[in-house]
Amino acid sequence: MLPQLYWMAFDKPIKVPLVLYSCTDDDFMIFQSEGGKIELFDTRGNKYTREEYEQKLPLMYTRQLLISGTMPDNIKSVAMDMHDLNKAKSTFRFNPEEMNGPQPKIYPLFESESGRANLEMPDDYFRITGRLEFIKASTNKIDEGKSNLFSGALSKKGFTFPAKSISGLPTTRKSCDEGYLIIDAAGQLFHLKMMEGHPYVRKVELPANLKFKYISCVDFKDKKYYAYLFSDQNEIYILTQDLYELVKLPVEGFDPDNCELRILGDIFHYNVIIQAENNLKVVVLNYADFQKVDTYEKSWLKRSERQKGKIAAGIFPFQLKMSDKNSNFTNFYFEFSKGFFWMIVNILFVAAHLFFLMRRKAKLSKNLVDLCVIAATGIFGFIAVNFFQNKFYD
Amino acid sequence: MWKSVIYKEWLKIRWFLIGYAALGIIAVGYIFLKVQHDIAFMEGKNYWYSILFQGLQYFGYLKFLPLIGALAIGIAQYFPETVNKRIKLTFHLPLKENKILLMMHAFGTGSLLAAYLLIFSIFYVLSNLFFPSEIINGAIATVIPWFLAGLTTYFMIALIVLEPIWKYRAFYFIIGAFFTSIYLNQTITAGYAPVNPILFILTAGSGIALIFSAYRFRKGEM
Repeated sequence: MLPQLYWMAFDKPIKVPLVLYSCTDDDFMIFQSEGGKIELFDTRGNKYTREEYEQKLPLMYTRQLLISGTMPDNIKSVAMDMHDLNKAKSTFRFNPEEMNGPQPKIYPLFESESGRANLEMPDDYFRITGRLEFIKASTNKIDEGKSNLFSGALSKKGFTFPAKSISGLPTTRKSCDEGYLIIDAAGQLFHLKMMEGHPYVRKVELPANLKFKYISCVDFKDKKYYAYLFSDQNEIYILTQDLYELVKLPVEGFDPDNCELRILGDIFHYNVIIQAENNLKVVVLNYADFQKVDTYEKSWLKRSERQKGKIAAGIFPFQLKMSDKNSNFTNFYFEFSKGFFWMIVNILFVAAHLFFLMRRKAKLSKNLVDLCVIAATGIFGFIAVNFFQNKFYD
Repeated sequence: MWKSVIYKEWLKIRWFLIGYAALGIIAVGYIFLKVQHDIAFMEGKNYWYSILFQGLQYFGYLKFLPLIGALAIGIAQYFPETVNKRIKLTFHLPLKENKILLMMHAFGTGSLLAAYLLIFSIFYVLSNLFFPSEIINGAIATVIPWFLAGLTTYFMIALIVLEPIWKYRAFYFIIGAFFTSIYLNQTITAGYAPVNPILFILTAGSGIALIFSAYRFRKGEM
């Protein structure tokens, strides 16, 4: 509680710049807001007005440029056709808490080929434990026929039950249904969907030793790929639509346990934006072949490395929280203070307690445990021991 | 003698315990009355969807129910002991002091647990009528800390009410309130799953806290 109060009083947010690649200038445009003041500049030090900045990023501010009549007809000889621009535009966002949190474990399997314009929520949900089971929501009973049909289809393709993870877009608010990407108990990757009531199962061939720890499916208009897949080596892959080819993105420095990721696509590029506690990295890839075009990096000090963090590390030997911004799980999150300053502070607290004891003429031998508690826990032990003093009744 | 001590405790808490169990049954009954109503109006598939993907907690009414029980039983059992310091009479019985106190405490804990078990069992059985095991497991992982918060509150009440000095009562109250609050943080369904075993151990540990107050009470702290 004390560290929480300390940080409530003294913590200041880090203003992370918005960094996007300009398809007109082939340079990064930086949007930095500091103390209510906005600065717009590029990596060469040129400063821009808001209008100039927006014109450097025509695919990000298309609507604004159309309104103000400054949208170019073509860029790099590519005609700015609204249909093409919209088709290529994509936005993907990932936060570590999506991966580090409770997962639903049962999902609705939509009919992919219903012939209807809109997707409909099915009456059953499936789980993959010892087999694939459909549970009807109207009766809370298992649909044996459908369960056997889909379990058999998975088994035929070499699926090892149970499933380790099931990833999809369990919503009717998408352009079409592409089912689920499932990792089985042996780490194999499968694509499952339902077409006219029948199972469609495709095993995706994986290179040796490639294991995925998280898969995030996408529904983009250009239908280039099914999902972003994060490997246990912290690489980012995409799985191409229909061809089922795994393409590794030339992006390093992404740790899904600790980094936020945004991937913004347009007709020319993908801006892969990785934000960790103390740095921002933007990798620009070609839209057509995912080859790296340019990289931007900016670092700053972690909270614990800044002056207020160092003071906190001196006062508190450790900090204990019930929540973590990178996890949806409630847990005891310990953060042990770095450096040695807290040890000196702990010794000072021990000395202060010794002084109090001597003033009270208390026997040292009966207070050894208290002194050890203060030596180990510093301010926390000092407060506890002095609020609840030992009393001995001989 | 033991039977008499237990009978005395039973006399103190019986109506509170029966009243609380009735309240618990009514609360669980209401939860499932609402569940069946909402399923009738929304259809089961949409209701399940709200639970699985939109954060609906159909069991949300249970959150403070264990706390209410702990307050009722704890105050009913321990408050009369502090009126005119009656607990001192108990300590004069020809039985070991700590043992008799732990006996009282165990009886109160057992009674509270029995009420919790009854409420939880009805909740579990009715959940099985409407939901698959995945939804129920998530619900259980979420309500476990709420029930542990109830037990902790009961233990803290014993500590606070038996504490003879008002200053310490205030300290214990602040610490008890803070300690109990760690079980009741706002979280998504099953968010507490990894920490539940640790909370269980913490709760069990807090069960013997009243020994400190009782020790000081017996030694004549005023």
